Amino acid sequence: MGSIYLGEFEELILTMVGVLKEEAYGNAIVNEVKSQLDRKVNLSAVHVTLYRLEDKGLVKSFMGGATNERGGRRKRYFEVTSAGIKVLQSIQQQRMKLWKLIPELKAIGL
Amino acid sequence: MTEPPKYVYNLLSRLCPDYLWEGIAGDLEEQFVDDVDRYGTKKARRNYFWNALRFLRPGILLRNNLKLNTNNTIMVSNYLKTARRNMVKRKLFTFINAFGLSIGLAFSILIYLFIKDENSFDLFHVNGDRIYRIEEFAYKAWNPDPNDPYMQSAYMQLGLAPVLKDELGEVEYATRFNEGYSKVIKIGEKVVGEDVGYADNDFFKMFSFEVISGNSDQFLTQKHHAVINEEIANKYFEADPIGQTIQIDIEGEKEFEVVGVIQNAPANSSLNYNILIPQENKSRYQQSMENWGNFSTPTFVQLRSGSDFEQFKINLQGIRDKYMEESMKRTQARYNIPENVIQFEYRTTNLKDIHLNHKVDWYKVSDPQYSIILGGLAILIICIASINYVSLALTTSALRKTEVGVRKSIGANRSQLIYQFSFESIILAFASMLLGILFMLICLPTFNEFTNKAIELNAVLIIELIGIGSIISLVIGIIAGSYPSLFLSSFNPALALKGGSSTKLKASVAKPLVLLQFTLSSILIISAFVMYEQMNYVTTKDLGFDKEQVLVVPTQMGWDSESDQAVERMRNALIADTDIISVAGVSNSFTQGWSRYGYTIDDDNKSAYVWSVDPYYLEALGIEIKEGRNFNSAIVSDTASLIINEALAKDMGWDSPLDEHLNWREDSVGPGYKIIGVVKDYHFRSLERSIEPMFLSIDRKEVGHLTDILIKLKSDDMSQSLSKIESTYREMVPDKPFEYSFLDQDVDAQYASFQRWMKIMTLATFFAILISGLGLFGLAGINAVNRTKEIGIRKVFGAPIINIFILLNRQFVTLALISFAFAAPLASYFMNNWWLSDFEFRVEMNWQLYVITFFLGLSIAILTVTYHGVKAAYSSPSKTLKYE
Repeated sequence: MGSIYLGEFEELILTMVGVLKEEAYGNAIVNEVKSQLDRKVNLSAVHVTLYRLEDKGLVKSFMGGATNERGGRRKRYFEVTSAGIKVLQSIQQQRMKLWKLIPELKAIGL
Repeated sequence: MTEPPKYVYNLLSRLCPDYLWEGIAGDLEEQFVDDVDRYGTKKARRNYFWNALRFLRPGILLRNNLKLNTNNTIMVSNYLKTARRNMVKRKLFTFINAFGLSIGLAFSILIYLFIKDENSFDLFHVNGDRIYRIEEFAYKAWNPDPNDPYMQSAYMQLGLAPVLKDELGEVEYATRFNEGYSKVIKIGEKVVGEDVGYADNDFFKMFSFEVISGNSDQFLTQKHHAVINEEIANKYFEADPIGQTIQIDIEGEKEFEVVGVIQNAPANSSLNYNILIPQENKSRYQQSMENWGNFSTPTFVQLRSGSDFEQFKINLQGIRDKYMEESMKRTQARYNIPENVIQFEYRTTNLKDIHLNHKVDWYKVSDPQYSIILGGLAILIICIASINYVSLALTTSALRKTEVGVRKSIGANRSQLIYQFSFESIILAFASMLLGILFMLICLPTFNEFTNKAIELNAVLIIELIGIGSIISLVIGIIAGSYPSLFLSSFNPALALKGGSSTKLKASVAKPLVLLQFTLSSILIISAFVMYEQMNYVTTKDLGFDKEQVLVVPTQMGWDSESDQAVERMRNALIADTDIISVAGVSNSFTQGWSRYGYTIDDDNKSAYVWSVDPYYLEALGIEIKEGRNFNSAIVSDTASLIINEALAKDMGWDSPLDEHLNWREDSVGPGYKIIGVVKDYHFRSLERSIEPMFLSIDRKEVGHLTDILIKLKSDDMSQSLSKIESTYREMVPDKPFEYSFLDQDVDAQYASFQRWMKIMTLATFFAILISGLGLFGLAGINAVNRTKEIGIRKVFGAPIINIFILLNRQFVTLALISFAFAAPLASYFMNNWWLSDFEFRVEMNWQLYVITFFLGLSIAILTVTYHGVKAAYSSPSKTLKYE
C-alpha cells in the first residue's frame, strides 16, 4: 500500500466520497465541496478523478436505481474501498507525524 | 425552454465511453436543472455547454480507446498478417494502387520544389527590399500595336546610373550591370573564352554576394580592375589570384588586374557573373554617356533606408524631362503620338520581383503563370490520384466479402472492421509515399534538366517533404480506407457467407471522376501536341536564309581589324576546298547578339538592326536579293553603301529604295549612305518577333568588325571538313582557342525555354495519362465485377466474346467522347492565349490535330480497359453463375 500516492485533488475527492457515504456521486461531490470548503470544482474533473481512483482500487462504483429528476438516468455511486480507507488513514498518520516535527507549531502548543 | 444544448449532448454521447455515459449525462443534467433555478436558462445552457465540453478530456476519451485498444492491440498482428496476405494475393492491384498514388505524389513534390525554387530568387540580398531595377516603359512609336502599345525593357542609357546617384537624394547607390558576352581571355599561358560582364563599384555595396578576398571598397574603381568569381579563381589560378593580371580581348588585348574574388552567384540569383570589369571599358563609352537615345545598360539603384519611394518615382520622371524632353517632343510630333499615351517613362521593379516579372526580359526571367499552371496541375493530379486510390481500393475490397462475413460471425464489431481496413489502407498509403519520394529522387536530375534549374535536396528539405507527404498519405489513407470499410462492414454476415450476394459496387462517384481525369488528360495531350507542332514549325520554317550546314567559328580576336584580316585569310585558305561552298564574315552571328542603332532622320527617331558583313555573307546564307545588287569589294564607294531589308524600306516609306540614301550616322554633310540593294525579309531574330528594319554594311570603321566566320559546307563529309577547318584556324590564328557551333543549332537554341516547357508538359501529360489510366482501370474493374453474372447469362445464351467485349467498353468510349468535347475548346483557348501567344509566327490549331489526339486518347483508354474486358468476356459462365 505504501506505493500509492495521491495528488491533492485526488485526496480531496477520496475524502469527499468518504464524507458523503451512500450519497457519493459526481454532482453531489461538486456541491458538497462547494458548501463545505467554498471551493468551485468542475464536474468533469471530479468524474475523471473518480475513475482514476477506481482504476487504483481506492473506490468502487455501482449504478443506483432509476430516478425522476435527471431524465430518468441512474446515478453512478462511489464508495471508498478498504484499500481506500487505508490510504486515507496512512495519509493522515504521515501528516500528523510530520506535523509534530514543525517546531513553530509545537511552540504554539497544538 | 429548459433544455440543455442538443448538439453538445449528441457530441458527448458519441465520444463518451458507453459505460460511463449514463452517469455523466445524469450529473450534467442535474447540474443544469440546478443552474436553471439559480441563474436562469441562458446561463445554465452556457454552463452546460462548457461543462460538457470539458468532459472531452483524455481522462474520459481514452477510456473509450482503452476498451477498444485491448482488443485491437491483440488484433493488430492479425491485421498486419491479413493485410500482407491480401497485398501479396493481389499483387497487380496492390502495385497499381500504390504506384498511382506514388506517381501523383512524386509529380506534386517535384512541382512543389519547382515553385519553391521559383519564389526563392534573389531573396538572399540583405538590402533587397530597397534595391530596384530601373526600366524603360515606352510607346512603340515606330510600329504602333493597339493590342500591346508599350514596350518594356531593362536596358537603360549608359549615363543614367551616375545621373541618378548625383541628382536624386533618395538614391544611396547605383550600379550598371551587364551580364556580358564571351570574350577571349589570357591567364598566364592559358587562352580561353569566358563571359566578361561590366559593373560599377556600387554593385558590391548593394548586392550581398560574399567577398572571398580583396577589399570591396576598391573593386572596379580603376579602369583596369577585374573581379572574378570563385569558379574562375579555382579554374585558372593555382595561388591567390589577387594582384594577378589577366588579358581580356576588348577591341584589342587589354591588361586587367584581379582585385577581388567573390562567391559564385547562387542558382537562384537573377544576376550572374564570371569576370566583372568596370563599365568604362565598354567600347565608345564616352560617346554613349552623352547619348540618351542609346539603351544598352541595365541599371540598379538602392534607395536610402526610410526614403520615400513614391517621391523617388516622381523624381525619376524629372530626370526623364531634364535629359530627354527635346527628343521626346520631336518623336511625338513625327509620329503623331496621341497626347493621352505615355510616350516614355522610367519604371522600377524591386529586386525580389525581377525573376517573375516576365514582361521585362532578363537573363533567367520566368513567367509566374508557369508556377500557377503547374501548381494547379499538381493539385489536380494529386486529387485524382487520391480518388483513384479510393476507387481501386473499393474494387479490391469487394472481393473480401467472405472475410468480412467470417470476421463478423466470430464477433468482430463494426468499428473493428473499419479500423482494420483503414489500417491496411494507411499502411499502403505510407508505402506509396516512400515510393513516391524515391521516384522523386530518381526524377529530380531529369526534372532539373527539363526546367533548367539546380534544385538540390538537403536534410531539412527532405524532412519537410516527408512531413508533408506523411500528412497527405495519412489523410488519403483514412479517406480511402473509410469508404470501403464502411461499405464492407455493413454486410449482413449471414448473407455475405452464404455467397448469395447481389450487392453492386456503387461507382456513382467514379464516373464523373473518370470524366474529369479524361478531360484533363486530353487537354494535356492536345497541349503537348500543339507545343510539339509549334517547335517543329519553328525549327523547319523557311527563315529566309539557309541555316543548314553552316559552321560558325568566332575569330576570337575581338572588335579589331586583325579580325577582319583573319576572316580574309581563312577564306583564302579554305575556298579552294571543294567541300566548302562559301566563307563569310559577320559582326555577330545569329543568336549571338545583335546591335541596333537609333538615328534621327527629319526629326524622327528611328532604329534599325545593323550587321557588319562582307560580300560573301548573302551567298553563304542564301539570302535572296530582291532589288539592286550585293556588295562588291572592288567598288570603293560600297563602304558607304548599305543593303537594307524590306521592312526598313517600308519603315522609311520608300517606294524605290535604290534611289535613296540613309543618313543613319546623322552626318551634317552629305546625304548619308547609299542604298545599293534590298534583301527579302529574313528572320535575323527569333520567330517570337516580327521582322524589324535592318541594314547590312561593309563599313568596318563605322559599323564594326567581323567577329564570326560563317562557313557553308557541302553535306558530304562533315568531320573531315571540320578537322580541315580546325587545322587551318590553328595555323592562321595560333594563339586563340578554336570554337565552333552549327548555325542551325544556334538558331534552335533560341527556343530553349519553349523546348523546356514542351518537355515539362510532356512529362505532365505522361503522369496524367498514367494516373487517369489507373482510374479508368479501377472503374473498368468495378464495372466488370458488377456485371459478372450478366456476362455469364449472356454467354449461356450464346453471345460471342466480341459482343461482350463491346458491351463492356461502350461506356468508356462514350466517356472519352464527352471528355474530349470538353477538352478541345479548353485546350485551344489555353494554348492560343498562353503559350502560342509568345510567337509572332505560329501554327494553327487545325482539325487534324484534334482527330489525332482524340484517337490517341481513345486508344489509351481502350487499352486500359481491355484487361478487365477480356478477363470478364472469357470467364466461364459455369463459374460466374455458380454463385446463386
